[in-house]
Amino acid sequence: MIGIYVHIPFCESKCIYCAFASFVRNANCQAKYFEFLNKEIKNCDFFDRQVSSIYFGGGTPSYVKPEKLAEILKTIKTHFNVLENAEITIECNPCSVSTQKLSSYFDAGFNRISFGVQSLDESMLKFLGRRHTKAQALDAIGYAKNTGFENISADLLLGLPAGDIISDAQTLIAAGVKHISAYMLQIEGGTPLKNMVESGKVKLPSDDETVDNYQKLADFLQKNRFLQYEISNFALKGFKSKHNFAYWTGQAYLGFGLGAHSFDGKYKRFANADNFEDYFAGKQNVEKLSPSQRDEEMIMLGLRCESGFDTKKLHFDISQNANFQKYINGEVLQKIGSTIKLNPKFYNISNSVIIDLLP
Amino acid sequence: MMKNIRNFCIIAHIDHGKSTLADRLMEKTGSVALRDMQSQLLDSMELEREKGITIKLTPTRMNYTFNGEQYVLNLIDTPGHVDFTYEVSRSLAACEGAILIVDASQGVEAQTLANAYLALDAGLEILPVINKIDLPSARPDEVKKEIEDVVGLPADDAPCISAKDGTNIDLVLQKIVTDFPPPKGDGNAPLKCLVFDSFYDNFKGAVCLVRVFDGQIKTGDSILFMQTGREYDVTEVGIFNPKMQPTQNLSAGEVGYVCASIKSVSDVHVGDTITLKNRQTDKPLAGYKKVQPVVYCGVFCVDGSKYNELKEALLKLKLNDASLQFAPEVSQALGFGFRCGFLGLLHLEIITERLEREFNLDIITTAPSVSYKVLKTNGEELEISNPASLPSPVEIDKIFEPIVKASIFTPPSYVGAVMQLCQDKRGEYKDMVYLDANRVRLQYNLPLGEIIYDFFDKLKSLTKGYASFDYELGDFVPSKLVKLDILLNGEKCDALSLIVHEDSAYMRGRAITEKLKKIIPRQLFEVPIQAAIGNKIIARETISALRKDVLAKCYGGDITRKRKLLEKQKEGKKRMRQIGSVEIPSEAFLSILKLDDEK
Repeated sequence: MIGIYVHIPFCESKCIYCAFASFVRNANCQAKYFEFLNKEIKNCDFFDRQVSSIYFGGGTPSYVKPEKLAEILKTIKTHFNVLENAEITIECNPCSVSTQKLSSYFDAGFNRISFGVQSLDESMLKFLGRRHTKAQALDAIGYAKNTGFENISADLLLGLPAGDIISDAQTLIAAGVKHISAYMLQIEGGTPLKNMVESGKVKLPSDDETVDNYQKLADFLQKNRFLQYEISNFALKGFKSKHNFAYWTGQAYLGFGLGAHSFDGKYKRFANADNFEDYFAGKQNVEKLSPSQRDEEMIMLGLRCESGFDTKKLHFDISQNANFQKYINGEVLQKIGSTIKLNPKFYNISNSVIIDLLP
Repeated sequence: MMKNIRNFCIIAHIDHGKSTLADRLMEKTGSVALRDMQSQLLDSMELEREKGITIKLTPTRMNYTFNGEQYVLNLIDTPGHVDFTYEVSRSLAACEGAILIVDASQGVEAQTLANAYLALDAGLEILPVINKIDLPSARPDEVKKEIEDVVGLPADDAPCISAKDGTNIDLVLQKIVTDFPPPKGDGNAPLKCLVFDSFYDNFKGAVCLVRVFDGQIKTGDSILFMQTGREYDVTEVGIFNPKMQPTQNLSAGEVGYVCASIKSVSDVHVGDTITLKNRQTDKPLAGYKKVQPVVYCGVFCVDGSKYNELKEALLKLKLNDASLQFAPEVSQALGFGFRCGFLGLLHLEIITERLEREFNLDIITTAPSVSYKVLKTNGEELEISNPASLPSPVEIDKIFEPIVKASIFTPPSYVGAVMQLCQDKRGEYKDMVYLDANRVRLQYNLPLGEIIYDFFDKLKSLTKGYASFDYELGDFVPSKLVKLDILLNGEKCDALSLIVHEDSAYMRGRAITEKLKKIIPRQLFEVPIQAAIGNKIIARETISALRKDVLAKCYGGDITRKRKLLEKQKEGKKRMRQIGSVEIPSEAFLSILKLDDEK
């Protein structure tokens, strides 16, 4: 079983913190891109054709014409065996959806929507360069529900200079969101945000404040029966993202489109070129993982999830690692049979623990 | 023959143009083909050229015709830094004359004076030369007067030159012949030959640079080093042209080299006298001293498994540097390494840089320390060069620390600041003289331990670079010193211990704990940092537990990026040292010295 990711690298405008492969481009380029994307999917000869999840991400998939997306989805369904209960997600920007658009998504077969809400504080939305308002975000969620979407997710950003993420979460839950992802705002190289922070124009909250908010949010969501199934992801029962979970548990997945990543489920990772010229030339970056690199991935991904990792699958004896014992004794790690999990109390410092455990 | 030899050296304050003049003299005398000219030929080591200083002495022989007569001019280069004063004195002993270069705009500086005095002590004829007259700010007449007033040398006839553009170089060459006396000596007397330096050659072993005073030396001679008592058979003698060129013999008055299958430069002591085994001179040359290190520090590899590579590297450096000393040291914090002894801070810096550059080692050095004398209550006397090995306070009766006699030259407007600095460094005021309207000479006795790290840097920054500084080692005096220990999470970190004066212990303790709090990254658990004297805690800071590391999105399945990020962080962690349960970055060990930088 595999997951499929489709990258839509177009946006109406670029957000100040964004370092992803996305472009503000004209229709000509889009036409060529979709043509190529279709071809890429048709030509794919990966042996496993059973698809359990599909994810349209970006960029802003909702920025392009719904027919284009429907066509791609149709191509996938024709060339692969998409399971009956497959999770099919589309990322949407709250300001670029309408009831009409949402209906076309629904009709095309999408059954999950992930809204890039980021914040419900108007000043923060403006600051980030988002094109929507709080009202638009809530309206969009309402439209989606009315259209028939049950599985609705919202992204929120931690570490913003202002706003109240708890009240945002509360409002979103009340509006009917079933899944919340909360990521920390990252200062990526080459973004306007980086300049603003470096020149002192913007003052971000301290790490401690951000972590406090993160932990408060986790507590709040827990109380509202949202399970923290991954370090940054929370869902009501039955609404975990199957697609993301595939990434984290080592399932095979295929990525189509500019800069998209694939994994054969064993030892090979592929990445399409992240500029149009090379992508259209079919350039790919292939990485063959060594057993110890695979181990690194399993530990790194496993410790970010409630499911942990299985020591029996590793290629080395982790119990020989001095830090491992130290963390077990200090209850930083929890051991259940051969499964090792990170104590959620220490999610905020997962990297430090992971680094200490790497082979 | 001897009357046509001139042995001389060039002495100067740093940057006054010593190496440039040497280059120009060689070029004028055709000692080196123009196409081989590389700026500052004598400073052969890459590092020397970069730092603009001469570490290693390389003599060269020039042929010069004056009034129809052939002269042999032997230029013996000298290191210009206070760390190498003894080497300078031995080089001077090999000469009859010294060219004293003074910068036409800067005038007399601390090292000008220190070097001039050394040359006078050695009984040399001194020829003052005013250099850099091409500079718009040149003031040759004033500088001449300064030389007369401050140094006490007649300077009326001093050649005014520009070594850079070649002005008046001929005049300097003429004056070398006319002003400097030829060597004296008896070619038939028993051999008396001064070793003024040595270097290591892969094929010839240790090569001695020598000046023959009496008699002669040739291949096949059985020779005796009078101070070390070692005997060898000469395998080759020769001169520097400037490359090594074998000759039949070296006789009285000449400068050259002697090879005798000597395994290491450590077997050759600078200042020793070579004589013939079977026809010995009655008395060795005066002025011999065994070179002792002045500054010590621990040297460790960042990667502890490279101990053997570090050892090999030090052995290789020692082949060519007899003054470098080292002995194995074990630190709880840093593992296996070496306690190294150096002639001074510059020497320390050069060696550590060479270890990193030439041997590709990533090294950690601990805070430099001087050597203290300790009188224990049970009457035992110790010499301590590693703070970690200082006995506990109850066992100590007295501690003695080395003092230097320092001269500082500064423009009058900075006198207040310089005096304050000397005061802060526990200096004892000795003298102040206004040399002229622009220059004051201050003399202080200062504890060596206080000046070995940031004194010079501070002096430079306080005086915008105008002050110059020189010192000579003095005696050991009793002092109220204590060992300041640093505890991380309750565990003493031996590599962070310092010996400090009682009065400044509290302040230093506070400053160090504050600094370490900034440098040591937050750990998974809270880490107390304490400063202690004996069992008494005098300062404390706490590093709170790590709260956050990044919760980034594994976007679109790009797992590789995330993995590489973690691998990089893990690599960074290798530069950290584990002290008990605490990880500290290697920079921490030296950072404790630079406490006031950020204030």
